[in-house]
Amino acid sequence: MARKSDGIELEGTVLECLRNATFRVEFQNGHQALAHISGKIRKNYIKILPYDRVLVELSPYDLTRGRIVFRYRG
Amino acid sequence: MNPVDSRAAVLISHVASGRWHALEDDLVVGRGETAQRPDGRLFVSIDAWHDAAFDRLAEAMLAALPRPLHTMAAEADLDLTTRWQRAGFTTRRREWDYAVPTDPRATGLGPALPPPGVTIKAFGSAEEAPLRALDRAIRAEVAAGPGWPDMPAEVLVRPQLDPSKYAVAAAGDQYVGLLRLAMVTRLPRIGLIAVRADHQRRGIARALLGHALSALHHVGKEAASAEVTESNAAATALFEGIGARRAGSNLELVLR
Repeated sequence: MARKSDGIELEGTVLECLRNATFRVEFQNGHQALAHISGKIRKNYIKILPYDRVLVELSPYDLTRGRIVFRYRG
Repeated sequence: MNPVDSRAAVLISHVASGRWHALEDDLVVGRGETAQRPDGRLFVSIDAWHDAAFDRLAEAMLAALPRPLHTMAAEADLDLTTRWQRAGFTTRRREWDYAVPTDPRATGLGPALPPPGVTIKAFGSAEEAPLRALDRAIRAEVAAGPGWPDMPAEVLVRPQLDPSKYAVAAAGDQYVGLLRLAMVTRLPRIGLIAVRADHQRRGIARALLGHALSALHHVGKEAASAEVTESNAAATALFEGIGARRAGSNLELVLR
């Protein structure tokens, strides 16, 4: 039985870090979203900075909201 | 789909050891995970798209897991901290997230020489065996003294002890202090500064920091990051004394 489907994930670039622990991320198609960092990233002390390339899972309820689930190296 | 659906619309599935999903209309609307730190503390995390998913995941996880439970949250993330507080968690300690300048003109660390009899070994020049012995000794001192629960939450399980990541203070043949630097991204991170108990208060940590920041400045890095537990007055004074700026804070929350 198909019990679950994961949300939409997109690669993007962090444009800015906002004050309330969120980040403005722009995707390759020009779409932007405000994203929090995931619990796993927070637990692993991974820092997110402007210009970082990140993988964002978009909210199924609001495609302008998301969470950063991975930060690419380099 | 309405994000304010009642809690009853959210189903919780225990998908694997230490992993839970919150499901709504076949959609994963929340994930909960556990992770055990080397010091034995059990940390939990929940990522949920709405309050009902968070609350149902917390309810299921807290019923299944032993206490105490810990979690980390950015203090500025009021939504997340409020959710954990609603689940019964309280703040145990705060970590400051520092942005540390590297320019000696900003840090004032240019002349930070080690005390007489102590030399600083540059990144990559320490020998692995005495470095490993120092790591063991420092871990034992922390365990016998303040204990790991009051240290920044990141404690490496099996440190690689790659000498290229360490600057080391040596007194004769013995290593007495170390600084571990991570260069994973554009922002270098000072992961650990530690000095043997019988060599503290001699300026060794300051000399290690001066060496590391100078090396970063030399390769064009303008800043580094570091986390310091708020109650660690010596470390706080060390960083703030060299112009480090508080860039944010993380809370460790606990449910006893």
